[in-house]
Amino acid sequence: MKNAFSILKKLLPKTKTKKQEQEKHPQTKEKQSNISSLSQRVDYIKEKLGYDTNDVVIRQFSSSNNKVHFAVLYIDGMADKQTINDNIIRPAQSDIISNFAHKLTPQNALSLLQEHITSGSEIAVVPDIDQAISLVLGGDTALLIGGENKILVYGTRSFAQRAVQEPETEAAVRGPREGFTETLRTNTSMLRRRISHPDLRLESFFVGRYTQTEVVIAYIHSIANEHLLQEVRRRIASIDTDSILDSSYIEEFIEDNPYSFFPQIEHTERADKAAAAALDGRVVIIVNNTPFVLIVPTNFFQFLQAAEDYYERPYIGTFLRLLRLFLLNIALMLPAVYVAVTTFHQEMLPTALLLSVAAAREGIPLPAVGEALIMETTFEILREAGTKLPKTVGQAISIVGGLVIGDAAIRAGIVSPAMVIVVATTAISTFAIPAFNASIALRLLRFPLIILGAIMGLYGVLWGLVFILIHLCSLQSFGVPYLSPLVHGSAGDMAESFVRPHWRFMLRRPSLLAVKNKQRQPGISPPEAAPAAERELTHENTEE
Amino acid sequence: MLEKGKISPRQVVELIFITIIATAILIVPAVTADKAGHDAWLAAFIGSLFGIVTLYLAIKLGNKFPDKTIYQYMESILGKYPGKLASLAYVWFFLHIAAIVVREFGDFMTTAIMVLTPLSFFAISIIALSALAVIRGLEVIARMNEFIIILFISFFLLVITLTFNNWQLINLLPFLTDGITPVFAAAAVPASWHGQIIALAVILPFMTRPKRAFACGSTAVICSALFLTLGIAGTLAIFGPEMTASFRFPFNLLVRTINLGKILTRFEVIVVATWVSSVFIKTSVFYYCAAMGIGQIFNLREYRPAVLPLGIIIASLSILLFKDVVELVDFLTNSWPLYSISLFSLGLPLLLLIVAIVREKVFGHSFQEDKDGV
Repeated sequence: MKNAFSILKKLLPKTKTKKQEQEKHPQTKEKQSNISSLSQRVDYIKEKLGYDTNDVVIRQFSSSNNKVHFAVLYIDGMADKQTINDNIIRPAQSDIISNFAHKLTPQNALSLLQEHITSGSEIAVVPDIDQAISLVLGGDTALLIGGENKILVYGTRSFAQRAVQEPETEAAVRGPREGFTETLRTNTSMLRRRISHPDLRLESFFVGRYTQTEVVIAYIHSIANEHLLQEVRRRIASIDTDSILDSSYIEEFIEDNPYSFFPQIEHTERADKAAAAALDGRVVIIVNNTPFVLIVPTNFFQFLQAAEDYYERPYIGTFLRLLRLFLLNIALMLPAVYVAVTTFHQEMLPTALLLSVAAAREGIPLPAVGEALIMETTFEILREAGTKLPKTVGQAISIVGGLVIGDAAIRAGIVSPAMVIVVATTAISTFAIPAFNASIALRLLRFPLIILGAIMGLYGVLWGLVFILIHLCSLQSFGVPYLSPLVHGSAGDMAESFVRPHWRFMLRRPSLLAVKNKQRQPGISPPEAAPAAERELTHENTEE
Repeated sequence: MLEKGKISPRQVVELIFITIIATAILIVPAVTADKAGHDAWLAAFIGSLFGIVTLYLAIKLGNKFPDKTIYQYMESILGKYPGKLASLAYVWFFLHIAAIVVREFGDFMTTAIMVLTPLSFFAISIIALSALAVIRGLEVIARMNEFIIILFISFFLLVITLTFNNWQLINLLPFLTDGITPVFAAAAVPASWHGQIIALAVILPFMTRPKRAFACGSTAVICSALFLTLGIAGTLAIFGPEMTASFRFPFNLLVRTINLGKILTRFEVIVVATWVSSVFIKTSVFYYCAAMGIGQIFNLREYRPAVLPLGIIIASLSILLFKDVVELVDFLTNSWPLYSISLFSLGLPLLLLIVAIVREKVFGHSFQEDKDGV
């Protein structure tokens, strides 16, 4: 029942807005239903949008034979004035442009205008003035005709937008450099360009009572699992809030476990990554006004994979994946293990190393845990200060922080050099994890682990890790276990979280997504030498 | 149903494997070496195969009552109140195992790793973790185990590989000097460990493909038999039977002999970490079985309210049951095999099967019908 309702909602997004408007203004609605005179309707619009709202333009004019009066309504800055002028106002006004303008009467105006006089690739006939207003607020232009209740709405959206740029958060050496922008249409076009197949489907939702933000789910009809799609639709349709200003709002509304430290939905700025996700059978959620699109379902290992893995040689891709996995452990555990070992398990270290660590700690007033917490906090402060500043000043912060404070702290005997090495290694490892939101989770979890390590030694660290593991194992993202494919996956999937296979061998899509079409390729194609004909050709060329 | 999750055949194999091997590898080598000397490895292997018998009984019963746990079908077979009584006995058995496991873990930690820390600290801390896992359900335990088993197997094999240069296989000879009798006597201990596979009778209904249960169970038993045999052979080959028998935790000492380029000298901490995680799994499995039992005996809507009280019981039992580690090992060597095998791993399941068959064949009772009734 709920599902059916959500599909209905999806099919009729505009009815939904109408209903909402109706609820908000029951009295004005009643008044409006009897209106047919143009000036009354213009007054209604002015009342609704505010008399002083200065970006609302209502231009009134008449046809050349003076029989019909018009009002054009658009938002300055959202609609293309040139188009409105050339294609709507002038043809309706003047005989010279259009042969039909002099035939206009209030009775035939609608059909004449729609079919002969005005031009525009998108024209909609809207029966309701409130619906027309909501379209106008999106950048369309409404043409109100005196003596005709129906309204013509022209697609004239045109506003200043950021150009397509290289994604800043996910830079890659090789691979497409196109990042999503804030404009929804541009983003969908980037997907469409990558997947020119009729099965790429885009469904839109309007979320946010005030913002009416358009949210599009993109998927490949013949691949994506139907239950997954229904679940995504249901969750998006059930969002009821004032505003959606970024995809992160949507993320928090639709994620499975809102109390987890770990991000359960991946986001990306890279168009190629989004397309790859759709081709895997995942659902891409594009939100208007933000360059970050969401990908569901997500498993933890996706956060450790960069798009580049798939563009470089498979060996380097594999190496990087293993390296990141190692760095993940470093980022999470290294300070805690160091604190535990230096506090409780000194015998674990080889004697030479133990001596140098002990010598370095000589004269340090704080216990290892105090040192670790101070340095970790200092690092967080430096990082936070650095990111919020312009790039050039940010470098100054890193110099002051890294060199001056670090060096001075050691010389002053507040922290030991070994601890600085540990904290710095941890910090760098944190940055090596491609997904920023995943590395934040690790950074936060580091602190409790350090404290556990200081209280209970390595057993405490292990205790904390098992605790985290229990949490991770109980997480799900849209029905897919979070730690899959390492748990719950087939052997092939499992391997793919560590190894980047050669494209020739990637025969199947991830099995956990329960996709409709499992096969990527029919079989392993053998490495081929150039065909004989081609070889001859190159041979001839060299002879010439 | 109290458990909504389902676990796959592979997860079942891994769960049984870890459940058996986690503590067996720690305690069994010394005990079998004490009784069977050079042939302890053989005793371990023979004893392990006993697991197949219990497995067979559990599966046979499980097939008669698909989608029912042992607690539910005991009521069908024995009648309502005798069934509930037998169920309570099983709950006790699982609690007892969990308490012993926690105690083994605590004793190991206090004697080998953290000598100054009180036993109760380890009991409470591991019970706290297990309680969390049990509350999250069987699926979560199974998933965690998938993660931990990778570590367990890889470190086990690494230990065997790294110590292999110290193996003196002459220690395994002479073969069967005192005949086969001491071997069988020693086999009782590993047999009692493998009898713990009866926990499958609780887990079986939550398996996705119950038809493959026997294959899964026997794979797990054979794997754990091989690992245990290998582990015992390793300790015997390095320390010889007399020394092995005198140690409390020989496998831990085996790990300590690893000395790789003078850097990997204290490798055992990592191995202990892996072992602690697998002990955690083992505790969780039996804890879960007990909690599920309480839920089904008293027809609760959820088994979760039972988790905390049971945890307190396990923690206190683990501290109160034994005076010290000597008593624990003595109990496990001399009393435990008889008690656990005769009652819970072999006795009761066999009785259940016989009663079920007799009621079906002789009295013409059909158990399929009272699915809706009782």
